[in-house]
Amino acid sequence: MDLLQILVNGLSVGAVYGLFALGYTLVFSVLGVINFAHGAVFTLGAYFTYLLIGGAVGANGLLAGFQLPVALPFWGALPLAGLGAALVALLVERVAFRPLHRRRADPLLALITSLGAGVILVNLIQLLVGAESYAIPTGALGGLPASFPLLGARVRTVQALLLGIAVVLLALLTLWLEGSRNGKGLQAVAEDPETAQLLGIDSTAMVRLAFGLSGFLAGVAGGLVGLSVSIAGPYFGIGYGLKGLAVLVLGGLGSVPGAVLGGLIVGLAEAFVPADWSGYKDAVSYGFLFLVLLLRPRGLLGRPLPTKV
Amino acid sequence: MNQSPDGTGPVPLLQVEAVSCRFGGLLALDQVSLALEEGEIFGLIGPNGAGKTTLFNVISGLTPPSGGRCLWRGAPTTGLGASGLNRLGIARTFQNLRLFESLSVRENVLVGLHHAARTPLLGALLGNGAFRRHQRGLEARAMELLTLLELEALAEQRAGDLPYGDRRRLEIARALATAPRLLLLDEPAAGMNPAEKDDLRRLIGTIREHFTLTVLIIEHHVPLMMQLCDRLAVLNFGRRIALGSPAEVRTDPQVIEAYLGGSGGAGGDGR
Amino acid sequence: MDAALLEQMLLGALLALSVYLPLRCGQLSLATPGFYAVGGYVAALLSTGVPAFAGSGATSPLPALVAEMVLGGALAGLIALAIGGPVLRLRGIYLAIATIALVEILRVLNLNLPFTGGAMGIFGIPQPFAHAEGYVLFTLALLALACWLCQRLEALRLGRAMAAIRDDELAAACVGIDTPRTKLIAFVASAVLAGVTGALAAHFLNSWNARAGSFDASITTLAFVVFGGSRLWPGPVLGGLVLTALPELLRPVGDLRLILFGAVILLGPLFFPQGLVTAERLHWLAARLGRGHHRSRQAPQTP
Repeated sequence: MDLLQILVNGLSVGAVYGLFALGYTLVFSVLGVINFAHGAVFTLGAYFTYLLIGGAVGANGLLAGFQLPVALPFWGALPLAGLGAALVALLVERVAFRPLHRRRADPLLALITSLGAGVILVNLIQLLVGAESYAIPTGALGGLPASFPLLGARVRTVQALLLGIAVVLLALLTLWLEGSRNGKGLQAVAEDPETAQLLGIDSTAMVRLAFGLSGFLAGVAGGLVGLSVSIAGPYFGIGYGLKGLAVLVLGGLGSVPGAVLGGLIVGLAEAFVPADWSGYKDAVSYGFLFLVLLLRPRGLLGRPLPTKV
Repeated sequence: MNQSPDGTGPVPLLQVEAVSCRFGGLLALDQVSLALEEGEIFGLIGPNGAGKTTLFNVISGLTPPSGGRCLWRGAPTTGLGASGLNRLGIARTFQNLRLFESLSVRENVLVGLHHAARTPLLGALLGNGAFRRHQRGLEARAMELLTLLELEALAEQRAGDLPYGDRRRLEIARALATAPRLLLLDEPAAGMNPAEKDDLRRLIGTIREHFTLTVLIIEHHVPLMMQLCDRLAVLNFGRRIALGSPAEVRTDPQVIEAYLGGSGGAGGDGR
Repeated sequence: MDAALLEQMLLGALLALSVYLPLRCGQLSLATPGFYAVGGYVAALLSTGVPAFAGSGATSPLPALVAEMVLGGALAGLIALAIGGPVLRLRGIYLAIATIALVEILRVLNLNLPFTGGAMGIFGIPQPFAHAEGYVLFTLALLALACWLCQRLEALRLGRAMAAIRDDELAAACVGIDTPRTKLIAFVASAVLAGVTGALAAHFLNSWNARAGSFDASITTLAFVVFGGSRLWPGPVLGGLVLTALPELLRPVGDLRLILFGAVILLGPLFFPQGLVTAERLHWLAARLGRGHHRSRQAPQTP
């Protein structure tokens, strides 16, 4: 395959991983826990997008044949799906995280409660719309061609879009974190919740903000992946969820640029796996992760935590 | 007593040779040297942030020094790590108290007896007679230590539920259980009232006699240190600024400067 | 209750104990399903490919099963020994994620290696027992042995060292405990138990594929321990038994069953943050039964 094409493939997949890992990182940085329901929120984002562009539910599930009365263009559907996913993420925070956070429970428990929330969401999807796969037709993009030439190679429009949207979102997020009042508040809470509280920052609101944002990013990532490779069923977020975890640690827990860098590295590495070895592609990210953890346990861009004696 | 190879005198129990410790831009210890003779009570004083606890961490193997080294009876201890150094004979307590909080008081001391608890695995699994006898011996040693530190009545309490003073004493009991030759006490009197401080001073004297220990102690309460210690070293901004008997240290102009000159003034030439 | 479900519950309890062992010294390892899969492949490959293990037709001799369990446990233990040194330097969530990565790497290998049967896996694994009841008795004996070892651990130097590391690893090192070695022992023991269980499960399930060791299984087995209680060994055993049975017992509610299962996992830690089994509840139970069974286990804990 053409090098440029591999590069675009890798970068676009990597950008999605990055968006995904960013959601984990936002929550991790304010709460110090991993949200295992993140994959399910991503999945929901994909289904929301499908429904919003006017897609109909298949023959299985309680909602068989259901179709929204509107059919939005992809451009309109994607942000709405992100908002929907953000609402679900807020609900997950309310049910699975806040009760534990409030009594300063063992962070281990949040792994289990968020997993429980994920199991509920995934099986709710299955109950409602069945286990079959859904494709978001590229027709939803309007008149764009399926692929276009770039420097002598052909690039799929969907992938270029994936990359473009991811880059724009990452840039907006970085600007917002560095430039806005809430963004700085979020960083302050991540740095030191108690001091932040003393400075009058409402840490509960910041936690909610982190969940909302992480849900939005997951939902958008879900919609984009749904467009590029179709929705393979209620469980399809789990694989991405796992890979996002690898990306997260690869880049360094709690580091926003780390999440992006980790995503791009994993995406590119996977794209360069030769076709004969494609079965092993899924192990690439974990192999990488393993190596990085052993050589540099804080991840590529993670800060070392001081040990206090 | 151990003699040094050339016969010039006894080898010190512990030598700290030009130890430096750098954390990022901060030089926490700057070429600190000192030597502890067997059997003495040696005090380490200095203002907050002078590097006292950092020196403890280096000696007990928790923090590798960025320069210099420690010698135990003349042999370098580099790379031994905390558990290796404990097995050599160095035990410590912590300024912020690090007990095994979910374990009982008795179990905390039993963990300290780890080195003495080695028994054949099969016998231990089956709980045979030899294992049970050994176990009774350990329990008896644990109770002895708890009695010495006046904790025997609390043996079955959870360590995490103890009041502050008892925790301090339990940490000492746990350290003593490891049969140390050198005991490092990091601010053992912190948070104690004058009467308790007096008790602590007597206690430290008792355990030195009882176990023929060498004691290195960090403490802010200078009068207590003057009474308790055979020799003192004073750290300021990571550097050893004085070393000697309490009387010598008390009159040392640099020490007076560090303690009385106000932290702002002392900082000027301290770095 | 039917014997097949009972057998699954017992296997669940064994896996829960495998997760519990590293957790007992504060190490959150999610590698259990990976080692479980390895043990299962050892048994599946030996009993379908090596005549000495295969026996005749669809049955296989009991000594062959025991030998496979030993070999499966040994291979899992060796893998744990090889990677344990560097991996166990990682702490907390990093260790958890590294072990998830290990499970995924093993899964991809199992899926792609030339001799593991690809996505279909290995099937037609011969049966050492004619009925599920045989499996149940055999597994019960294995579980009893594992529980006995865990109970003995409380009284041993090793068990105290593990508890000390769980409470404060740094202080444990300062009282002379070789913390890397102690953690490695717990990790290897966990792997061996998972490998042995996998070898047994491969026969019971009659077929074996890469799905045996997946991320889902990692979290489910962790849920066993958190749900049952991670402090005392009866916790994981109870958690393993109950949570394995639950999806089956919920079958009558049809499509809602996995949603309810999720709700149980979600609500369990909220209402029982210490898990179902705690020292106080054991004390209470012991008092009710009029026996001082867990007398050795100190005063009640305050949460």
